[in-house]
Amino acid sequence: MRFVDLIRTACRNLARRRLRSFLTISGVVIAACLVTLLVSMGIGMRHFMSAQVEALMPSDVVLVVSSQGALQLGLAGLAFGENPQQVAEGTGSRYALNPIKSSHIEEIAALEFVDRVDPYIMFTTWSASRLDGPAVKAMARALPDYQVRARVLSAGSYISEDASGVCIIAGQLVESLGFASPQDALGEEIIIRVRQAVGMLGLPSNTEGVRFQITGVAEPNVQATEILIPQSDAALMARFWAGSDDMYTERMPPSILQVRVGDVAYMDQVTAQVKNMGLGAMGSNEVMGFVGTIFNVIEGLLGAFGLIALGVATLGIINTLVMSIHERTREIGVMKATGACRGTIRKLFTLEGALIGLTGGVFGVGIAYILGAGINELARLTFLSSFVGTQVSYMPWWLLVGVVITCTVVALVASLYPSLRAARMDPIEALRFE
Amino acid sequence: MIIELCDVWRRYSMGNEVINALAGVDLKVGYGEFLAILGPSGSGKTTMLNIIGGLDTASSGRVAVDGHDLSRAGDRILAAYRNKMVGFVFQNFNLQPSCSALENVALPLMFAGVSAGRRSRMAREGLQTVGMSQRARHLPNQLSSGERQRVAIARALVNEPRILLADEPTGNLDTRTSELVMELLISLVRERNITLLMVTHNPYMAEFAGRSIHMRDGQISRELTCASLI
Repeated sequence: MRFVDLIRTACRNLARRRLRSFLTISGVVIAACLVTLLVSMGIGMRHFMSAQVEALMPSDVVLVVSSQGALQLGLAGLAFGENPQQVAEGTGSRYALNPIKSSHIEEIAALEFVDRVDPYIMFTTWSASRLDGPAVKAMARALPDYQVRARVLSAGSYISEDASGVCIIAGQLVESLGFASPQDALGEEIIIRVRQAVGMLGLPSNTEGVRFQITGVAEPNVQATEILIPQSDAALMARFWAGSDDMYTERMPPSILQVRVGDVAYMDQVTAQVKNMGLGAMGSNEVMGFVGTIFNVIEGLLGAFGLIALGVATLGIINTLVMSIHERTREIGVMKATGACRGTIRKLFTLEGALIGLTGGVFGVGIAYILGAGINELARLTFLSSFVGTQVSYMPWWLLVGVVITCTVVALVASLYPSLRAARMDPIEALRFE
Repeated sequence: MIIELCDVWRRYSMGNEVINALAGVDLKVGYGEFLAILGPSGSGKTTMLNIIGGLDTASSGRVAVDGHDLSRAGDRILAAYRNKMVGFVFQNFNLQPSCSALENVALPLMFAGVSAGRRSRMAREGLQTVGMSQRARHLPNQLSSGERQRVAIARALVNEPRILLADEPTGNLDTRTSELVMELLISLVRERNITLLMVTHNPYMAEFAGRSIHMRDGQISRELTCASLI
């Protein structure tokens, strides 16, 4: 029997029992839709988190702190569960961010494969505004030149490391600061305000405003409130924020370093060498790996929910085919009497199952695609409006194709048992069937 | 001889009991011969027909058709044999209910791998032969019993088989229709020199045959030659 005739016959058999086929296919549609949508949301979240991490920590950077404990605090945010322990006089918690010794900084800079070492200047921005405009939420950061240049500008130019009083604002800030367009913002002055860190605890504190001229506007990205300023200005603002004029000087070196590794293949080697100095270090690959592991679990769990639905749909397929074979017993007998071998019967019923899976998969993926686009649009208009380009549901082509193939293969496997039963049917018994 | 059965047995187990549906049957049928098989229910007529048709296999003995031993044939060979070498006509017609008369006739051609266009042409010719071309698009439930059996005959002959196996082909038809169907059947097998084996309860129908055998308890009990009609 020709393959085209097999397909035609299988399609025809499914069309003959429209309602039953429709209901069975609907089960697969729901399962395919769920798997696609849930996994796409997992991928969307992974992309969002990866973009956040990447914006904070480029792929060729190793973050260095005074101790591994401090890094754990930074990662975990909390350090509960410690056993009571004695603390030597004059030393703080092993989770504290202590300044890194100048000798260590020099040692790190001298390591093979290390391109450069920069301080990570830490302070909290209170707000930003035009000279006569309303204050908006902002996050001023001082990044090394190579990280600044990783931003794509929609207008203006980059700031150089030794400049002062200039800044690049995020694309999303253009409108909130009251500018008509990125071009309109260029050359304008804004005030970035810093409130002393103690203010965060509700204690009396002062606020200082520093003027910056906008020289560039970045394309909108996940860092919606970012303002990039030169390192020298940032150091001054950080000293005010911390209430210490010694910060980022010889007397009090930085407590976080950004170490750029020339070749990312040596990230682990550099990380290990820094750890050997008794410092805490973590490469961006390690952070991304950590994030990746979390999202692998999340995607796996989300996918598992969808697979449960697919399992139920599979039972539906088996039931449909078993019923169909029962009803068509005599037909199978006639097919055998007129020259169909076991293989032909088996192929015919397997194909019917596969067609149910394929049709269900295609429609399920199609519906998921539309729903995903709807969810993304809804998110863009509401809770994700600040994060340009972020998608709650992200559907790469391999997910769509993969789900369709999975549904087809699962349905095909599900139809093996019924088709084998049909193929093994005794033609005489089948012809006698009433 | 086109068909040769040599000490053919067919045993069935029913619980602890063994039933011999065929008990050492010896039979030879020549090319173009019309053989009627008579006998009471359960005498082994249909079992023998099924074994000759490749739908069933003998428990022991030798079944040879056109010199080929069917007892040793596998599923694929038997399927090809049923498709090309034999045609079946059943008492209850056994047409596919969801297929039109034309599609029913084309069914064996589809399993033979004939292209759709050629299949349709050949099936139309087949329907024309049995005088059913005007009913080609009708479903079996839109046809009378006689018409259904004509379609079944067209289906049995469409692949130009050498043997036609008819299991009580007039069993569900009235007397007048039975005669018409028998006349059609005989004229077609004669015209094409097809060997016809027909199981029947009706001695009158057996008179159309050149030779008839009577079966009892799985054995051929009597053999008659009726040269008058053939």
